[in-house]
Amino acid sequence: MNMVGAALKCIFVYWLVQGIDTMTSDQTFTRPIVVAPIAGLILGEFQTGIVMGAALESIFMGISAIGGVVPADACTSSILAVAFTILTGTSAEEGLALAMPIGTLMSSFSSMFTPIFASLAPFWEKLALEMKPKKFIGILLPFQLFISRIVPTIVLFIAVAYGIDGLQTLLGQLPGWLRAGLGASSSMMTAIGFAITTAMIWSNETGVYFFVGYVLAAYLGLGNLPIAIFAAAIAFVTFFRDKQTNDLKTELTGKVAGGVANDEEDFF
Amino acid sequence: MARKYNELSAEEKRILKSMYWRSHSVFWGFTMTKMEANGFTITLTPAIESIYADDLDEKREAYRRHQNFFNTHAVPFAFIASLVYAMENEHKKNGLPAQTIENVKAALMGPTAGMFDSIFFNCIRIIAAGIGIGLCAQGNFLGTIMFIILYMVPQEITRFLFIRYGYILGTEFIDQIFQSGLMNSLTKAASVMGLMMIGAMTASMVRVPLNWEINIGGAVTNIGDTLNSIFPNLLGPILLFFLVSQIRKGRRPTQLVLGILAFGILGAFVGIF
Repeated sequence: MNMVGAALKCIFVYWLVQGIDTMTSDQTFTRPIVVAPIAGLILGEFQTGIVMGAALESIFMGISAIGGVVPADACTSSILAVAFTILTGTSAEEGLALAMPIGTLMSSFSSMFTPIFASLAPFWEKLALEMKPKKFIGILLPFQLFISRIVPTIVLFIAVAYGIDGLQTLLGQLPGWLRAGLGASSSMMTAIGFAITTAMIWSNETGVYFFVGYVLAAYLGLGNLPIAIFAAAIAFVTFFRDKQTNDLKTELTGKVAGGVANDEEDFF
Repeated sequence: MARKYNELSAEEKRILKSMYWRSHSVFWGFTMTKMEANGFTITLTPAIESIYADDLDEKREAYRRHQNFFNTHAVPFAFIASLVYAMENEHKKNGLPAQTIENVKAALMGPTAGMFDSIFFNCIRIIAAGIGIGLCAQGNFLGTIMFIILYMVPQEITRFLFIRYGYILGTEFIDQIFQSGLMNSLTKAASVMGLMMIGAMTASMVRVPLNWEINIGGAVTNIGDTLNSIFPNLLGPILLFFLVSQIRKGRRPTQLVLGILAFGILGAFVGIF
């Protein structure tokens, strides 16, 4: 089979399932059990795709996106595993063995471009503040459907058309410090989003609780849910202590105002 | 007590319906800086346009508010958006402080993300995949179809109910608070939760991957490890509060983003990352 033609078919499958997931946000069509049969169908061996879908889903089942970061890209790995199996005529096992390293390669390529896309955040804010909702969606949706998919698309194309060796050569060409630097800035970018929110909600009276939450997570290693329960408990105590103070205040002012309050009570 | 959906006005129903469809935009324009902020803006657009139709400045403020950092699972996303619709209403009508809206968002995103990641990724998806894998392994395409139905339908139903009840319950709760005159107490309680969760998320999501080794008379010391042994992820909050001070000084987000990008690459070039 013509490798370039097969690569284009793989890209079509990738854009199709990603497009459906973009529109539904249910994270269903990018799962291996759906992707692999579709890839098999498009590449001409539906049965192989279905059977490999079962195996790939079992592999990727335990791996889920944590905090929005996808560790190994299940969608592209599945497409590639099916493509290698069908195109080179190897066994499904060998295709699967190739899938995981490519998933990791794909992640390292994609994560290199994360900070570049993160740099667009101020652009989106500016666009939103123009207050033209139709224009906002009109630019954001095509961006999400096509432009944000450019990097995996290119990697997918090279991997199918020229093999993984080509991919590794390409990655080897890049200086290590550039990859390390992009990775480092990517993990620091999140601090900007938090800083904007913190600047907005900071209050000197309750600011100390920032550090309580920080210690619970960083030092005790608690997850978000147990910390939220602690936070809710403290918030409840704060709320009811405040309420008592308020009630006391009303009672006192009522006593000072004396007659007026009594009149009101009689009235009710 | 709690109003029924049928008792809502035609305008409220129209907005909630539109918000349901728009809540599918969760991951549009996802960035590491603000994560799901763009999806949140799109989902709240009908509410903002209706509530602040006659007030351009307030409308711009509302858009700015919802362009802030936001991140949770795609299903509770709908609940928080619907709740925020109720709060934006109260902000306009009764002057609920804008800070409280921010605090409630910050307080809810972390725990809901954890809770619903567990429900959908670790429970429902496992069940759906288990049934699907069994059929697919025998070469039966029905397995894929079963997986799609079993995994997608529960998400859509939950999302649909969340959009309805987030607004209804939120409005009722805030009205009660206003009637009892406890708004200030609620504001303070929300602030406690919001800041505590932001602190927790800073610890778990902001990383300064310092990997700087210095050689003092033959002894190699890794500065990053040393700082982490003083306190885990010590540089995270330091970076955060540095950025907060820069924002207070009026630095634009673009400058901060480009600054971090340059800092990361230059830092890696001289070998500290």
